[in-house]
Amino acid sequence: MDWDQFDLNPKTIAALKKADIKSVKEILNLSGADLQRLMKLSSADIQCLLKTVSHALRRNSMLTALQLYQDKDYFTSQHQKLSLGCPVLDSLLKGGIPLVGITELAGESSAGKTQISLQLCLCVQYPYKYGGLESGAVYICTEDVFPSKRLQQLIDQQHKLRADVPAEIIQKIRFGNSIFVEQAADLDTFQQCISRRLSLLLARGMVRLVVIDSIAALFRCEFGPAEAALKARYLQTFGAQLHSLSTRFRTPIMCINQVTDAVSESEAAQCSCRIVGSRVTPALGITWSNQLLMRLMVSRTSLPGHSPGAASHCTGSTRTLSVVFAPHLPPSFCYYTVQLEGVKGIK
Amino acid sequence: MQLAVDVQIPECFGGVAGEAVFIDTEGSFMVDRVVDIAAACVQHCHLIAEAQQEEDHGKALETFSLENILSHIYYFRCRDYTELLAQVYLLPEFLSEHSKVRLVVIDGIAFPFRHDFEDLSLRTRLLNGLAQQLIIIANDHKSAVVLTNQMTTRIGQNQSTLVPALGESWGHAATVRLILHWDNSQRLATLYKSPSQKESTIAYHITVLLILSAPDVKFCP
Repeated sequence: MDWDQFDLNPKTIAALKKADIKSVKEILNLSGADLQRLMKLSSADIQCLLKTVSHALRRNSMLTALQLYQDKDYFTSQHQKLSLGCPVLDSLLKGGIPLVGITELAGESSAGKTQISLQLCLCVQYPYKYGGLESGAVYICTEDVFPSKRLQQLIDQQHKLRADVPAEIIQKIRFGNSIFVEQAADLDTFQQCISRRLSLLLARGMVRLVVIDSIAALFRCEFGPAEAALKARYLQTFGAQLHSLSTRFRTPIMCINQVTDAVSESEAAQCSCRIVGSRVTPALGITWSNQLLMRLMVSRTSLPGHSPGAASHCTGSTRTLSVVFAPHLPPSFCYYTVQLEGVKGIK
Repeated sequence: MQLAVDVQIPECFGGVAGEAVFIDTEGSFMVDRVVDIAAACVQHCHLIAEAQQEEDHGKALETFSLENILSHIYYFRCRDYTELLAQVYLLPEFLSEHSKVRLVVIDGIAFPFRHDFEDLSLRTRLLNGLAQQLIIIANDHKSAVVLTNQMTTRIGQNQSTLVPALGESWGHAATVRLILHWDNSQRLATLYKSPSQKESTIAYHITVLLILSAPDVKFCP
């Protein structure tokens, strides 16, 4: 660390070098009294040092809420979200997936989680004007093989799903080229994937969406009940790393999670059961929930009073997408179906 | 977010007419939601003014607008605990320059401190230092300091309970502690620690616009 670049007096700089202090973090980790002893400086000098390095670290970091509100820049604005490719689903989420933070998509098997994730991998490649981020996606598979045939089907049918986008724009996008598939079946591989591949792809601006399918699979087999504390630590570390990448590169992270049966009333009440009436709760517990910005749940439902005539143009059963928690959304839900061209909400 | 809006309510409507500092460590400050809350607050005050027809109400409402409210919420985003520590060192100076600030919110205090710490004694020391600085700030600048914390599971002998995160020593830092929890589908707030009130629980709703208490739900002492 080059202390000369800071606005400090020479005595302080000399003391820093002599005490072998190498970073701002080290300084802030020590108390005022410790710093005085270590550097043999007066209390006033230490206060000055703390203020100066804090200023250097935090310069120009204040915004007013008004500035946040008025920011319309594609890259920094909070108003910019990642569209799901369907106006009904987007309006449930007030625009789409927020760009900074971890969003979880939990649900039973075959409820449509992978379908929604694949659709997002295509949506992210559209121009900003059409709800995309003009970039690619990383899809990290932790248990199943990547559904490439289904992806190809979706790519072929994009013009049908995205009728709002002019055909020549859709034709120009090379969807397959910008989806990077990674396999990570255990924690070590996953760790490597995040710290190397992911950081690289994000730093180069080649991707602006990360999908992890699924996060639960990494943790369910490797930890027995006695290792709860260790599992919690891993979850917190991964959560923090993903969070940090998401913040640095303004990239949404979509984690798919499985559900387990809710054991007690209180546990069931804590998640979306109020809305969907099911007795399942997302896996990985409160430690993981604390890392999330937003939690969505999907489930298969039978739509009551669904007339046989209306069912004829739905190829699958009706599913429900519900918002369990989000800082900007009320608990709410909508219905959708999975069709050949993708996931479409039902008004 | 609601506190950051409510602190700005003019005195003639029963408010404090202050400004707010919001330190966000998790990235969950969604400005659209703040806009909803602020708009509802302004409307609420307009309704009071119409009903009561007092002179100073009208004057206060001229400056109590959406843009005004938003411009007086000072937002800082801290991405790790070092940035948070640095920001708190700079707070006293900021508050001296912005003397109308009556509220400092840190949302959440637990997030940056719950990973990345091999040495828990360092964490305790840093948290204690942080708590002391915040107490000094609250006293010197006559400002309320509100921190949000996560819950964690404590595994006891027979059962596990939910307790506030960051350990026992952190529990001493706060003068007042409020625990928010669910009882089936009802949101509850329990006053867990207070020098002046006894422990009690009330129910509340979060509507599209505001947080309202639910007067017809019994509380458990």
